Amino acid sequence: MAVSPWEGELSAMLKQRFPDQISEFSTYLGQNFLIAHPEAVIPILEFLRFEAEFDYLVDVTAVDYLQRQERFDLVYVLYSFARNERIRVKTLIADGYKPPTATRVYLTANWLEREVFDMFGIEFAGHPDMRRILLPEDWEGYPLRKDKSILDCDNKWIEEHLGIEGGQ
Amino acid sequence: MPDQTFLDSTELVLNMGPQHPSTHGVLRVVLKLDGEKVLGADCVIGYLHRGVEKIGENRTYQQFAPYVDRMDYCAAVSNGLGYCLAVEKLLNAEAPPRAQAVRVILTELNRIASHLIWLGTHALDIGAITPLFYVMREREEILNIFEKYCGARLTTHAFRIGGLQYETYDGLEQDVKAACDHVLPKIDEYERLLTGNRIWIGRLQNVGVLNAADCKQYGVTGPMLRAAGVKWDLRKAQPYSGYQQYDFEIPTGTNGDTYDRYRVRMEEMRQSVRIIRQAVERIPEGSIMAKIPKVIKPPVGEAYVSIEAPKGELGYFIVSDGSTQPYRLRVRPPSFVNLQALDQMTRGALVADVVAIIGTLDIVLGEVDR
Amino acid sequence: MRKFLRTIFLIDLIEGLWVTFHYQRPKYIVTEQYPAQRPKVAERYRGAPRLNINPENGETLCIACNLCALACPENLIVVGAERNEQTRRKELTTFIYDTSRCMFCGLCEDACPVDALELTQDFEMAGYNRDGQVWDRQMLEEGPRPKQYKY
Repeated sequence: MAVSPWEGELSAMLKQRFPDQISEFSTYLGQNFLIAHPEAVIPILEFLRFEAEFDYLVDVTAVDYLQRQERFDLVYVLYSFARNERIRVKTLIADGYKPPTATRVYLTANWLEREVFDMFGIEFAGHPDMRRILLPEDWEGYPLRKDKSILDCDNKWIEEHLGIEGGQ
Repeated sequence: MPDQTFLDSTELVLNMGPQHPSTHGVLRVVLKLDGEKVLGADCVIGYLHRGVEKIGENRTYQQFAPYVDRMDYCAAVSNGLGYCLAVEKLLNAEAPPRAQAVRVILTELNRIASHLIWLGTHALDIGAITPLFYVMREREEILNIFEKYCGARLTTHAFRIGGLQYETYDGLEQDVKAACDHVLPKIDEYERLLTGNRIWIGRLQNVGVLNAADCKQYGVTGPMLRAAGVKWDLRKAQPYSGYQQYDFEIPTGTNGDTYDRYRVRMEEMRQSVRIIRQAVERIPEGSIMAKIPKVIKPPVGEAYVSIEAPKGELGYFIVSDGSTQPYRLRVRPPSFVNLQALDQMTRGALVADVVAIIGTLDIVLGEVDR
Repeated sequence: MRKFLRTIFLIDLIEGLWVTFHYQRPKYIVTEQYPAQRPKVAERYRGAPRLNINPENGETLCIACNLCALACPENLIVVGAERNEQTRRKELTTFIYDTSRCMFCGLCEDACPVDALELTQDFEMAGYNRDGQVWDRQMLEEGPRPKQYKY
C-alpha cells in the first residue's frame, strides 16, 4: 500500500499522548489512519471521544489476512462533527485474542461488534450481549473468514431446520 | 434487559414475529411488556441475510454492481452511486461532469421515490390507508424515468464504475421536469391530508423521542439525526459528485420525535426537487465515462467512502489486494445502525407506538441483513 | 378562538376527506387493467434474452467470443463453439442461458461486441415449474412469445 505519513495537529496530539502504542500514522488517498497496539485501542478511542471531539463511531469491521501471524485487522472508523474529519483506528490481532469492547465508549459498537463476532469469530471481552446477530444462534462456523469458501456453510443446521440440501 | 424467569414478574414477553404486516420486512421484535407499556425491545434480525459481503469477495468489481442494488431495494440508485464512488476513489479516478450531473439527478429522484414509499407504508401502519395509493401513483412517474433510462425500475444498476453506461435518452430533461412539476403539488396534498390532522398528531407527537446526544451515541444518521436538531448532511459536509454546485437547505426538527421526522422527510422531498431543477437546467456536455482500464485492478489499499442515502450514511469500505476481485468489501448500512436505537426509543411507549417507531426508523431489511 | 372552532368543527379531518373525495372523477383513474391492457415498456427495458439473427442471410450474429459468459456475475451462460476449418473462424453450436437464476442485470448485453445478445421487452416469463427455465439456442433465437389472452 503506497501510504504517506500523516502529519497534523491530531497526529501530534496522539503521538504525545500514546508515544509507544501507536506504530504508524499514515494517510492513503487522503484518508488518515493509524495502527495501534491491541491493548491501547480503548484508551485511544476514549481520548478521541472525550478530548478530540470524535463523537460518532461510524463502523467497526475486520479484515482477515490468512497468511499473516496476526490474522485479523480490526478497523474502527470515527467521525467528528465539529471538525468534519474522519479517521480510522486499526489494530492487528491474532486468532483467539479477545479485544476489549468499545460499548463503554460508544453505544453504536454494540451491534457492530456482534456482527464482527458473527462473521469472523472475534469475541469482544466485556460485551453485554455477545451472541450471533445475523446468522441463527446455533450456527457453526464464521463465514467471512478466508478459509471458508463461499459454498461452505453449516449443512447440518440447514438439513435439520430447513430440510433442504445446502451448499448450492 | 433484566435476567429473570417469567414466573416471578408481571412482565409479558410478546413476539412481534418475522411475519408481520407492520415490521417492514422480516424483522422480529421480542417485546417485554408490562400490560400495554413496553419495557424493552430486542430485535432479532438475519432473516434476509444473503451474504453480500462474502459474494463481494468472489466477484469482480463490475460484476458486483448489480448485487449492491438489492441491499436497499427502495433506493437502489443511491447504493449504486456509493459503490461506484468507492471504487473510483480506490482507482483515484473521477467521473466526468456530465456523468456527475446525471448521477445527481437520478439519485435525487430516487431519494424522492424512497421517501414517498416511506410515507406510504408509515401512514399505512398508523392507519391512514389513502396516502399509500397516491404515493404509488407518484412513484410511477419516477420509475418510468428509471425504466426509460437504464432498463429496470427497482434494481436499476444505473451507474458504472467511472461514469455512466447509457447516454441520456431524448426527452430525459422534459420527463424529469414533468415529474418534478407533478410531484411538488402532491407533496402539499399529502401535507394537507396528514400534517394538521389531529389523529396524526396524536399518534406521532412525543413518540419515539431520540435527542441529539443519544443520536450521536448510537451512531444514528440521516433524517433521524436531523429531526433531533443537528444540522448535518453529508452532501454539504463532505460533498461528492458535484453536490457543492447546487443550492439547497437542510431541514431540521426540534424535538427528535416521530412527528419531526415526518416533517423533515417531507421537506427533504421538496429540497430534492429543488436540486433536480437546478441540475436539469445545466447538464454539461462531454463524455460520460472516465478513462479507466477495461479490467479494473485497483492498487493495493483500502478506502472508506460514504454518501447520504435516503436512510442515513451509507458507507463502503473496500480493501483491495491488487487483483480483479475485492479482498474485503464492507457495507456500512444505515438501517442496521439506526435499528439499534429501537430499544431506547420504545422504553415506556405503548405497543401501538412500537409500530409507529419502526415505521419512522425507515428501515429496509435488505440493508439491515445484507 | 379560530383554533377552537377548527377543533370543534373537525376542519382538519374534513380537509383530508375532501382531498380523497375529489379524486372520484373518472379522469383521475390511473390503474391499468392488466392483462387486457399491456403496459408499454421502454426500449431499454431488460427483459427476456434473445439471440439476434442477421436479417439478410438468416445466420446468427453471435461470433462465439465468450465475452457474455465471462461478464455474467452468476456464470449462467455456456457458449459452445467449434472451429470451422474453411473460414478459420469459430462458429456457434450451442448456447445455454439459465433464466431461473438470472437477475437481468444487463452485463451480458453490455459485453456483447456485435449486439447479438439482447435483452428484449418481454417480462412475462412465469411458469409453473423449473423445467422450461434453462433456455437453449433455439428458444433464444425465437424471441419473446407473450401469451395472448382472449376476452
